[in-house]
Amino acid sequence: MNETEIIQKLQQGNEPAFKELVETYQKLVVNTCFGLVQNTEDAEDIAQEVFIEVFRSIQNFRADAKLSTWLYRIAVNRSLNHIRDNKRSKWFQSFDDVVKGKTLLLNHYASENLGAELENMQRATILHEAIGLLPENQKTAFTLNKYEDLSYKEIAEIMDTSVASVESLIHRAKTGLQKKLYTCYKKKCF
Amino acid sequence: MNCKTLHTKIIFFTEGSLPAREMEEIKIHLENCSNCAAFANEMKKTLAVIENENTPQLNPFFYTRVKARLENRVEEEKVIRRSPVLVRILQPAMFSLLLLAGIYTGIKIGQPAKISSDVPVFSENEVVPYFNEMETEAIENFLME
Ligand SMILES: [Zn+2]
Repeated sequence: MNETEIIQKLQQGNEPAFKELVETYQKLVVNTCFGLVQNTEDAEDIAQEVFIEVFRSIQNFRADAKLSTWLYRIAVNRSLNHIRDNKRSKWFQSFDDVVKGKTLLLNHYASENLGAELENMQRATILHEAIGLLPENQKTAFTLNKYEDLSYKEIAEIMDTSVASVESLIHRAKTGLQKKLYTCYKKKCF
Repeated sequence: MNCKTLHTKIIFFTEGSLPAREMEEIKIHLENCSNCAAFANEMKKTLAVIENENTPQLNPFFYTRVKARLENRVEEEKVIRRSPVLVRILQPAMFSLLLLAGIYTGIKIGQPAKISSDVPVFSENEVVPYFNEMETEAIENFLME
């Protein structure tokens, strides 16, 4: 089935078509959600909701639009909402505290682990925290670029903005990450 | 290029996205500066985490879970839609009545306390009659045989 066929069958409520849609786009949606929420369980949970929303609103889908663009948008919106809902609990924790806390926890649980593997787990923790601190639209552009390998043009379409502003968002995201990682490196929170 | 400038470019150097001349400059700096070289190395390894993560292990039960969730949701909505008027309208009405009754009782219980604090003389008279018998016996008598 090609994209148009899937959409047509979905609009008729065809279940195999839904299965094919989920299986075709599972990676895309889960990956996008993960890049934004930086947590596997939450990413899968949000991704499931994304497909439910697709199934229920497929009637409103315009035939001239691109299915993947639509999926990316729903995934981004739902992930950002999830982050907003969870923000309040993290309000009073500083970046260093979070990283130090998590690193301590990792050290504790991974004392029997191999050194290199543990180091990568720590790096992942620091990276996730640093990405988590980026402003929403920087995070979105960065995720679509780094986790989904999308071009600036594709990202601009999904975010409904210009290629130039995507370029600027990604540049600022990288500079911000670099700064966070350097601060962390200097303080030896690695 | 000094160390500080280098720190603002290292992420772009790691990606290889800088102009050729700057790439070369940084490369030379890193060969001669062990501090920056160590940070550059750490940055490279940290960014490599993303490369590992963007090919995630796909959950083989994903579709089954989506389907189950969708069916559950449809069921829940059916229950709400099918349920008789009695449950849909009378139940909230009963709850509202109960709530109103609760508020009314609360106000009623709260009121006497307020009045008594305004006019303390009355409250004494109101309470004392119940202990009238005590007035006949002086309190000292309790201590005597
Ligand atoms: Zn240096």
